[in-house]
Amino acid sequence: MLRPGLLCRRWLRRWDARVPAENLSCREVASGIPPLGSTSPGALNIFDRALKRKQKNWAAQQPEPMRFDYLKEEVGSQIADRVYDIARDFPLALDVGCGRGYIAQHLNKETIGKFFQTDIAEHALKNSLETEIPTVSVLADEEFLPFQENTFDLVVSSLSLHWVNDLPRALEQIHYVLKPDGVFVGAMFGGDTLYELRCSLQLAETEREGGFSPHISPFTAVNDLGHLLGRAGFNTLTVDTDEIQVNYPGMFELMEDLQGMGESNCSWNRKALLHRDTMLAAAAVYREMYRNSDGSVPATYQIYHMIGWKYHDSQARPAERGSATMSFGELGKLNLMSQGKKSQ
Amino acid sequence: MSANGAVWRRVRSRFRAFPERLAACEAEAVAYGKCVQASTTPGGRLSKDLCAQEFEALRSCFVAAAKKSLKGGS
Repeated sequence: MLRPGLLCRRWLRRWDARVPAENLSCREVASGIPPLGSTSPGALNIFDRALKRKQKNWAAQQPEPMRFDYLKEEVGSQIADRVYDIARDFPLALDVGCGRGYIAQHLNKETIGKFFQTDIAEHALKNSLETEIPTVSVLADEEFLPFQENTFDLVVSSLSLHWVNDLPRALEQIHYVLKPDGVFVGAMFGGDTLYELRCSLQLAETEREGGFSPHISPFTAVNDLGHLLGRAGFNTLTVDTDEIQVNYPGMFELMEDLQGMGESNCSWNRKALLHRDTMLAAAAVYREMYRNSDGSVPATYQIYHMIGWKYHDSQARPAERGSATMSFGELGKLNLMSQGKKSQ
Repeated sequence: MSANGAVWRRVRSRFRAFPERLAACEAEAVAYGKCVQASTTPGGRLSKDLCAQEFEALRSCFVAAAKKSLKGGS
């Protein structure tokens, strides 16, 4: 069961996102999801995955990568908290889009037996953070997980699914590699993320150049996320929102930090050039519209946390229709009834 | 990016000086920001060069701050 993933590591080193899954010569890769030719209807090609890989590699090779890690560390620790809240041990776990391994450093050997970390950027995997859990690093794309069905007890994903082109397919892949009664704990950026930056750039570009092009990537809405998880086959869904506000000295510092995190824009429809005048105008607008009392400017990161379970017979199910023993009309008499039972 | 990244580093160092030059032009930046923000209220319409005057003031202040820092610095 473990061998397919390890065998494929050699083949995956030469493989990048442009090669369709069925051309992999690794015999043991058996993705039950239909191959690339028949992606789910309505799947878009929004993001340039090869460029995202270059950006993440560049970010991981910066002299001080921990300078830009604050957001991912915070969300990674929140995911680890949620994993601890589940009263179970997970012998085999997978981290999809792990970056430098922000979740693994908060977990311990008792909870997780062995951890597989996957990312598209090899330099991020090479510079991964210290953890006491035995880990295996696999270079893989979030949409083409090279693992067999029913492999993992736990799959986590922190802040990497917002760059995935075919999100329904990625969630289906995650559901596929999970064992029955396995759980997926994920976090991704939500609709309101960086709305201040988005608005400032739109206004400045309209005023300076007469029109605007998108500079912030599109995010999933929270309702759509619930539907996507349900469509992928997950049970007992939980989706909740969290907002992290980080204060920066100004817009330029914010943009530098976003680039350092590896979160630069990589959509195909991005404009290649942002004029100096437009940047100056946007910084002035940002400061004027959103400034805090101490002169700093806020940037909002909205995080969606989601938990989904793979179906198993032991999980609680809704009761059968017609199996009720009491009616809602008797709610008022509930206290009297329980007191009566106690006295008997 | 080139092999040693010299061009990128030079351009990025120039870019890193932007925040302090913008800080030197506080008043003009506020004026420009207020002009753009006024157009976002209901009934306002943002079109090209609506706040061109304020932006020209901001830009000339910015360029002056750049010249001053160049003369004073290197």
